[in-house]
Amino acid sequence: MSKELKNITNNVMNQIRQGRIKMRPKVYFIIGSILTFLGSISAFLISIFLIGLIRFSLRTHWGRGAQYKLDQMLSDFPWWIIIFAIISLTIGIWLIRKYDFSYKIKPRIIILGFILAIVVAGWMVDITGLNDNLFRSGPMKGIMNNYFQNNDTTLQPNWRK
Amino acid sequence: MDVIKELTDEEIVEKVRTSNQDLYSVIIDRYQKRLVRYVNNLIKNEDKAIDVVQESFIKAFVNLNNFNIEKKFSNWIYRIAHNQAINLAKKYQKETPLLEGWDFKSNDDIEKDFEEKEIKEKVEKCLNKIPLLYSEPLSLCYIDEKSYEEISDILRIPMGTVAIRINRAKKLMKNICQKN
Repeated sequence: MSKELKNITNNVMNQIRQGRIKMRPKVYFIIGSILTFLGSISAFLISIFLIGLIRFSLRTHWGRGAQYKLDQMLSDFPWWIIIFAIISLTIGIWLIRKYDFSYKIKPRIIILGFILAIVVAGWMVDITGLNDNLFRSGPMKGIMNNYFQNNDTTLQPNWRK
Repeated sequence: MDVIKELTDEEIVEKVRTSNQDLYSVIIDRYQKRLVRYVNNLIKNEDKAIDVVQESFIKAFVNLNNFNIEKKFSNWIYRIAHNQAINLAKKYQKETPLLEGWDFKSNDDIEKDFEEKEIKEKVEKCLNKIPLLYSEPLSLCYIDEKSYEEISDILRIPMGTVAIRINRAKKLMKNICQKN
């Protein structure tokens, strides 16, 4: 037994000395952490935007012929986004659990917290009017123009009322 | 060398990272025996346990720059060994019976040492009869003498779950092992 244990030390140290195994540089882990962080932030922001878009879509479509418009919206709804969101969320939680100490919190609390944070943030962005700015002049202007053209409608200054 | 022996794991790791990679052998010597016993408890195969521990040390070395020096190295290396062992167990999906005697820390009192060894061997044999879900935290607690917080860090489960599993493990051991 002790001989085999001795072999562990020798085997590992020989590989280190011969350069067959090398320590990954610190920058490797720093870049990994930055990418994970940016990925999480991006997923969060995209989700907030989607909530804003859904609320916007509901307001502009609701009224006469609501049933028809609801059917139209459901048929036009990009369902792949939901699948994408579920996959992203699963990968995100896996990453968080792997690299962080979130295991001290129950997974269902993390999921619920994440969803709640997105919904609240999306709602806040919408009611503060930040969405309007983004839709009119921000990075979403192009997307919204296409949306209006496809739906044969225009955005009125008082559309929120 | 005596000076090095007095250094903590984290201090040695820092030296390995910055100046002297040979000091990694000190880390290996400190942990290999404990880790082989721990992994053997998980996969029930001594030869494979030695391979797993060797792979764990290699993996730990490769990722040493990712280790947070402010945390306990012990928990980190146990976690790596745990992952390696579980991956292997999943790969082969079989458990073979075991366990032969293991050397534990030496004691001047031979009689006391023998009693301790006998008790630990009995506990280890008994541990094999209860599910891994419960036996692993119990063995970490009583054989590896880890605190609930450390077990929580190693197994990545909340401390409350650690307490529940250890409690259930004790009850299971009482029911199963006292009959034999």
